Parts: sequence; C-alpha cells; structure tokens
Amino acid sequence: MPDTARGHAVSALLTVAAVAAACSVRDAGAAEAATALFAAVQRGDGRAACAALSPKAVSSVETGGSRCPERILTLGLRGGPIHDVRVWGDRARLRAGEDTVFLVRLSGLGWKVAAAGCRPRPGRPYDCDVEA
Amino acid sequence: MGFLRRNSLTLCFLLLMAGALVGQALAGLADRNERQRAEGADAISLGEYVTSASYAVDVAENWQSEYLQFFLLIFLTVWLVQRGSPESKEPRRAGAESDEEQRVGRHAAADSPEWARAGGLRGLVFSRSLGLVMGAFFVLSWTAQSVAGWAAHNSDRLARYEDDLSWGEYLASPDMWNRTFQNWQSEFLAVASMVVLSIYLRQRGSPESKPVGAPHGATDVEG
Repeated sequence: MPDTARGHAVSALLTVAAVAAACSVRDAGAAEAATALFAAVQRGDGRAACAALSPKAVSSVETGGSRCPERILTLGLRGGPIHDVRVWGDRARLRAGEDTVFLVRLSGLGWKVAAAGCRPRPGRPYDCDVEA
Repeated sequence: MGFLRRNSLTLCFLLLMAGALVGQALAGLADRNERQRAEGADAISLGEYVTSASYAVDVAENWQSEYLQFFLLIFLTVWLVQRGSPESKEPRRAGAESDEEQRVGRHAAADSPEWARAGGLRGLVFSRSLGLVMGAFFVLSWTAQSVAGWAAHNSDRLARYEDDLSWGEYLASPDMWNRTFQNWQSEFLAVASMVVLSIYLRQRGSPESKPVGAPHGATDVEG
C-alpha cells in the first residue's frame, strides 16, 4: 500500500475510533446519571437522588408540599443493569433492569434524569413514576 | 469589466444566502434557548446550535425543495410549454430538439464546449448535465434532510417519553412528509406564478421578463 493511501486509511480509522469514543463517552454520561439516581435511592440518600434529576423533574416530585429528598425514596425506583442506551442530541433513553429512564443533557448541568420508573404503553408515551 | 461586476448576480445571491443562514442560526438559537430556560438550564452556544440536527434539518429541507424546483423546471420545460411565457419555448419546439438546433456533434461551433462536440457518452451526459446536477443536489439534500430530520425527530420523541424510530420508520413518518410537502407546495406555486405572470406582466431590463413592448402572446422572448 503506498504511503499516502496508508496515511488515509490510518486517518479514517482514527476518525472512526474518535467518533466511537465520543459516542461511548456521550452514552456513558447518560448512564452515569441514571446509575447515580438508582444507587442513591438504594442507599436511602434522597438528596443525592434528587441531584441526579433535572430541575423540572425535581419540581414534579415535589407535589403536595412534600420535599424531593423524602418523596423520591417512596416511589419504588429500583433500577438494575444499564443497557440499550439510545442518545439523540440532548436526549437519551436507557433501560435500567426492568425500568426505562429518559434523560436530558442540560447546558451547565450535564446529563440529568427527566423521567424514571417508566412503563411502555402501546401507541402512547411511557407512563412514568417520575416525570418532568 | 472587473470581477465583481462580471459576477455580481452570483455574488449577490451568495451573500444573501450567507446572511439568511446567519439570521436563521441566530433566530433558531434564540428559540432554542427559550426552551432551555424553561427546562431550568443554561443557554447553549451558537456553535452547539449550528451543529445540531434541528438546525441541519431546517436548512436541508429548504435546500432540497429549491433544487427539486429547478430540476423539474429544467426537465419539464423540454417537453411542456406555456404560450406567452418567457420561461417556455414555442410549442412547435417541444422535445429535445435536433442536433443542429442544439449545436452539438458536427453542428458544434468553434466556440462550443468540447463535450458538446464530442458526441457519444460525453455528449449525452453534457447535454443533460444541468438537470442531472440539479437532480443530484436534490437527492443529496433530501437525503441529508432525512438523516438530520431522523436525529431531530428522535430527540423530540425521547423528550415526549416515546421510543426512537429507525431511519426506515422515519422515512414513512408524518414528520418527514410534512416537512417535505410544505416546502414543495411553495416551490411549485412560485414556478407556476412566474410562468403565468410573466405572460402579462413585465420587468423592464430583466432577462426574466419579456421586453416591455413584446406582445402577450410572444413565447420564448427574453428582455
């Protein structure tokens, strides 16, 4: 293979590797936010769990005068191994065990959970226990 | 005559396009940041916005319809005519016309392009190159619209807590065809308006119009 062609092939491979790395880093950010939520709920740390939520999701949890750190622990969020991560722009959806989680990437805040404890409904949006 | 004067029409439209793209980016960014604030987030930068799928699809959906408009106008005016319009040729000349009329092959003049004289595949391709390139730009920009629209639409679906779609599913989705048809209808209206209005109305000095004194029935006459 001539040097120029080899150079182009190496450049192409590096580009593909860089894009793949960028995608996995991007996916990892969403997965980390979901993992942080479920880990905090499991150890009973409501404040840390609410820190993983988007500001609108925090507001939605704080219904009827209850505070997010207390209420988030009563919603039965369990989570599980993260899989099937889909990232489209500043939105992501992933599975955490049986649970489905939706996330939003907010400028200055990073990935935050917008909805969790979501169950599919045929032909309609997911029904979620936490929903911004 | 200087470069600027010789190319003033092209340069003017390229500048207008650049200005409009900047305007679209600034207006789109302001709209996007209104929604960011509603989410309780910081504003995003201009750089982030112009590299987003939503900006790309808004640009590409307009580009594809413009190239489709010119592709159709170029190809359909080979066979279809409008009596009295400077956009049309005389009805008796409908069709691809003879080599002599088109100055190709042995009928090429000394100053004709080399590929017009060449004949064979080169002559065949060059004889249709304007329509083919416009058609290719249409297909490329429509494909770009479908890919960017797919990404933007999936982001919107996730924001509504719905599953994302495959590219094939997006191609059959209402969003893809709503974006497509709303651009196509305006282009077809603009062409039909130009073809018909130029029969009866004039613009002194413009080659897009017949000369002011030309009769309404005169076809294929440009001022």
